[in-house]
Amino acid sequence: MHWLYLSVAVIFEITVAIAAGKAAGFTNRPWTIATLLSGAIATWFLSRALLTFDVGVGYALWTSVAGIGITVLGALLIGQRLDWRKALGIAVVIAGVVGLQLSGAA
Amino acid sequence: MPQTNPSSSRSWLMLLLAGGFEIGYALSVGGSEGFTRLTWSLVAVAFFLLTLYALSVALRAIDVGIGYAVWAGIGAVGAALLGPVFFDETLTATRALWLGVIIAGVIWLKLADRQRATQEVADGPRDAQVAVS
Repeated sequence: MHWLYLSVAVIFEITVAIAAGKAAGFTNRPWTIATLLSGAIATWFLSRALLTFDVGVGYALWTSVAGIGITVLGALLIGQRLDWRKALGIAVVIAGVVGLQLSGAA
Repeated sequence: MPQTNPSSSRSWLMLLLAGGFEIGYALSVGGSEGFTRLTWSLVAVAFFLLTLYALSVALRAIDVGIGYAVWAGIGAVGAALLGPVFFDETLTATRALWLGVIIAGVIWLKLADRQRATQEVADGPRDAQVAVS
């Protein structure tokens, strides 16, 4: 069940980022509502998942999968060009977040 | 060297601010102990609104993949640095090393994004916003 919770949390985290972009600084009301609602849902499902997952591992999985999903969907849906420089930078930052979370218990 | 696009600089400032609010959100959620303490819970809700607002403003000019990585990265760095100040946590050498990796990646992305912004000024605007009445 915790994998299902985490998957739902990832999907809504991806929705948060895409919707936040569409909300254009909260000037577009439907997308603003979608941003806040997805954020609340993502937070709730993540907190459920973290009851079972080790917090560092769960959070690392959540951020990394969401980050990759957001980047891929940004390129596919919104047509944001992804060159190797941007892809490398995103990969380095996400790797850093994962490393940080996994070393949390150390 | 390419000139810095002023609107791009402002968006990056807003993105850093969003990261700062994200730190506040992470710490206050931790302090709320599963939203059982009222004051911390209210602070967490306020930071939740602020961080998403600032992210939304920043994403007007910054690609969503870059914006998300930087936002989450700054949140993680700040939580790791300030966690030991507020809670019973320690910053180990390993964690400090990962902080360096995140910060290097963020700086790299800022430079890569500036290059794109300059290129797009030459190409013309990417997506004209359609006003919704």
